Amino acid sequence: MSSTESVFTANGVTCIVPAQGESRTIFENLGFAIAPGEIVDLVGPSGSGKSSLLTAFARLNPHATGSFTLNGHDSGEFTPQQWRHEVAYLPQKPILPGDTVADAIRLPFTLVIRAGASGLGDQNDATNAAAATTAATSADADSAHTASAPHRIGKVGLGRKFIALFRNNDQQARKLLTDQKIRMTLDAMGCEDIDLARPPHDLSGGQAARVSLARTLLTEPKVLLADEVDAGLDDENAEKVADIMATAAAKGMAIIRIRHRPPDGRASHIVTLANGTLSEKAGEQA
Amino acid sequence: MSGNAYDIDIWGLLVALAMVAIAAGISELMRINIGKTLLWSACRALLQLCAMGFIIGYVIRANNVFLVFAVIAVMLVAAVQITLSRAKGVPKGLAGPVLLSLTITMLLMISLVTELVVRPHPWYAPQLVVPLTGMLLGNTVSALAVGLSRFYESMNERRDEIDTLLALGSTAWEAARPSIVSSIRLGLLPTTATLASCGIVTIPGMMAGQVIAGGDPLEAAKYQFVVFAAIAALTLVADSLIMAMVYRTCFTADDQYKPPEMR
Repeated sequence: MSSTESVFTANGVTCIVPAQGESRTIFENLGFAIAPGEIVDLVGPSGSGKSSLLTAFARLNPHATGSFTLNGHDSGEFTPQQWRHEVAYLPQKPILPGDTVADAIRLPFTLVIRAGASGLGDQNDATNAAAATTAATSADADSAHTASAPHRIGKVGLGRKFIALFRNNDQQARKLLTDQKIRMTLDAMGCEDIDLARPPHDLSGGQAARVSLARTLLTEPKVLLADEVDAGLDDENAEKVADIMATAAAKGMAIIRIRHRPPDGRASHIVTLANGTLSEKAGEQA
Repeated sequence: MSGNAYDIDIWGLLVALAMVAIAAGISELMRINIGKTLLWSACRALLQLCAMGFIIGYVIRANNVFLVFAVIAVMLVAAVQITLSRAKGVPKGLAGPVLLSLTITMLLMISLVTELVVRPHPWYAPQLVVPLTGMLLGNTVSALAVGLSRFYESMNERRDEIDTLLALGSTAWEAARPSIVSSIRLGLLPTTATLASCGIVTIPGMMAGQVIAGGDPLEAAKYQFVVFAAIAALTLVADSLIMAMVYRTCFTADDQYKPPEMR
């Protein structure tokens, strides 16, 4: 895989965790790359560090270091929030806060990174909201959009934080992501069985996993890091989840899946992480 | 300093101590095993209060601005120590933020309540400034201790949720916000409860003191309200300040969740 056609690359990824006073190296100096629209399955024995690798890719792992690029831009050019907006880690355990399923799905759009400054400040700027909607809905947004005008949202002033403490961006989020759009998306994903008005904790395990996946897919990342989202699901639900991801990949999303199930034929190739090394069976049809 | 309308002599103190001793004796008979602690605490309280009385008496007689602020500084340091010893499960190195938030609220208290509302002569009037600071610190110390304990407990409980929020692109502040809100609410609960119940169920200590000392009850009530209102507002300020200063201890510079063992 050459890095020119890759949407995401990782180099020199090392993960060292402290264990009883000393440190344990999970993996060292790993390299990885993925092209748009590819699905790569990451397999390997339990405890080999698959989750650590994916959280490292999303810059969520405090024990990991490495250099990452997105569309040729170094991760240092992004704030952590901007990076995770594009390189989205989907945890194994679906966490769905909120009173209803719709609220849980809208959660990412209540965040400053998507609701924008107008959600934090006083003006409720319609043009700003419109711009954010365009940004959120354009699946084929090019690299220029990602890298241009990175206004650093991570650094908001203390005064603004105090204001933000007592307000939420629910209104803003409702504009960015209407109930109809959520409904349409869920239906298109084959999730007609999920009632948006229900409390999230009423969902079955399979439904919760699909809602969690739908929530991240609606944020339209360029790279999806799916951490064993089909674990604990029955075959029917696992199939649905795989279908949803295959559809997203067909639209250009790069997807890395951690899987313990037998190959389902959707991956472009399978990569194994064992004993701290990544072995790639490139070209092998899964 | 006209003293109380009805002074308490040494026999009064002995009667009070005897009451505690009898209660302690009964508790020993009932095998509740709290008698020793009770008696010991009562003796400690007597000594501490008398010492405080002597010190405040001296400071009032000396009427020296530097002495007033020296006493307040000692109270602040003690308040920091008590806050940190009462707060459970907090990382090391919080003394600075706690001291800062207590100092800021103390200065606000003195400038607003003393100089804006009461306007004493001289402006640093020790019999006003020292007790007011004491009452404020008493309240903020427990609010901060409860708030800090709750905040870190909540951040540990919400670990999965925080990781999910961060993965979805939240800032550290956004991920911590639910914990911050719940800890400030919990820290303020006793204060709002006191505000709501005073005058119906309880006669607050300060007002009771003025009434016993022969003061006009309505004047005492006004004083009490001003102090309560200020304490309630400033407790919220202290709690918010400390949260704004410490929430980052749960995150790395790259806005990653920092588990308790790394803090």
